[in-house]
Amino acid sequence: MNIFLIYLLLVKATLTSFSVMASLPVVRADFVVHHHLLTDRQLNTAVAAGRLGPGPNGLYVVSVGYYAGGVPGAVAGWLAMITPAFLIIPMLRFIGKRAENPRFKSAIQTTVLAGVGLLLSAAVPLARDAVTGVVSVVILIASFAAIAFTRIDSIWVMLAAGAAGLLSLVV
Amino acid sequence: MPSLAQLASVFFRTGNTTLGGGDPTMAVLQREFERRKWIGHDQFALVFGLARVTPFTNLLAFCAGTAWIMAGLIAGIIAVLVVTIPSAALVIWLTHVCEIGATNRWAASAIGGCVAAAAGTTIASAYRIVQPQIRKSNWIWTAAIVITSFLLSRVFALSPIPILAIAAVAGLFRNHT
Repeated sequence: MNIFLIYLLLVKATLTSFSVMASLPVVRADFVVHHHLLTDRQLNTAVAAGRLGPGPNGLYVVSVGYYAGGVPGAVAGWLAMITPAFLIIPMLRFIGKRAENPRFKSAIQTTVLAGVGLLLSAAVPLARDAVTGVVSVVILIASFAAIAFTRIDSIWVMLAAGAAGLLSLVV
Repeated sequence: MPSLAQLASVFFRTGNTTLGGGDPTMAVLQREFERRKWIGHDQFALVFGLARVTPFTNLLAFCAGTAWIMAGLIAGIIAVLVVTIPSAALVIWLTHVCEIGATNRWAASAIGGCVAAAAGTTIASAYRIVQPQIRKSNWIWTAAIVITSFLLSRVFALSPIPILAIAAVAGLFRNHT
């Protein structure tokens, strides 16, 4: 696929999301549903790969780019990940403390909440794809609980889930 | 004012070795900046606040903003590059390993575990975003927006961008009344 198009699709997702995972529904709509460049399994794997290493959140878009267009696609994904960050420079120069305007903050807060609804909507097919048996159900619930209710870093959750997957073959 | 090499060194070390995502990394960076007296408290607070309303990764916006204040545009670009390039390279390698591993029984089983965990952590992300809002008194508004956007997407198959646009307008309107 055209690398520029991969960049445009991913940057559309990153520029319209005020939290990292809120971009997932937009990515899924474009890459899985409309363009069929990824499967739900690959999108899930991209999320897992993005959480396995240190560094900033949002690295899953690099993995999505890699699936869609190899290493050049990954570079497009990386560019889409970093592009929104530079918006802060004109914001610092021209908006400054005016960004504290209650109307502005309310609009962003409501967008974030809508992003949660969209994220849950996108999570339904992803969870359906991920669940292949009792072990995967247990891993899904345990990882939800670990991230939602504790301060354990997602790297450890992913490593434990990988180990549990291996153990399920042995036991 | 710090040199570009000094800035790059601090951002590289902190951005690529701190686990836990944006908030712990920003906390470590704040300590590093204050120790070296590179940025004032007011400037730090302004960048921190604006990074929260910058789309996608708050940490990267924070890095770009603080480095820009400390040493200009080139510093902002360098900060983002040194924080993201090593971890992005690692993710490309991990994705490649996952792709190859899918054909091996043992690797596929481990990847299957990670994929199930990814689904669980995705749902947990939704919970963690919405949790602070539930604690406040505006939980009815929170629930209404989350449920409406879920239904618009899941039942009416509306694409995400219009839903986000509607939400933004609703947010403006809510504050206005």
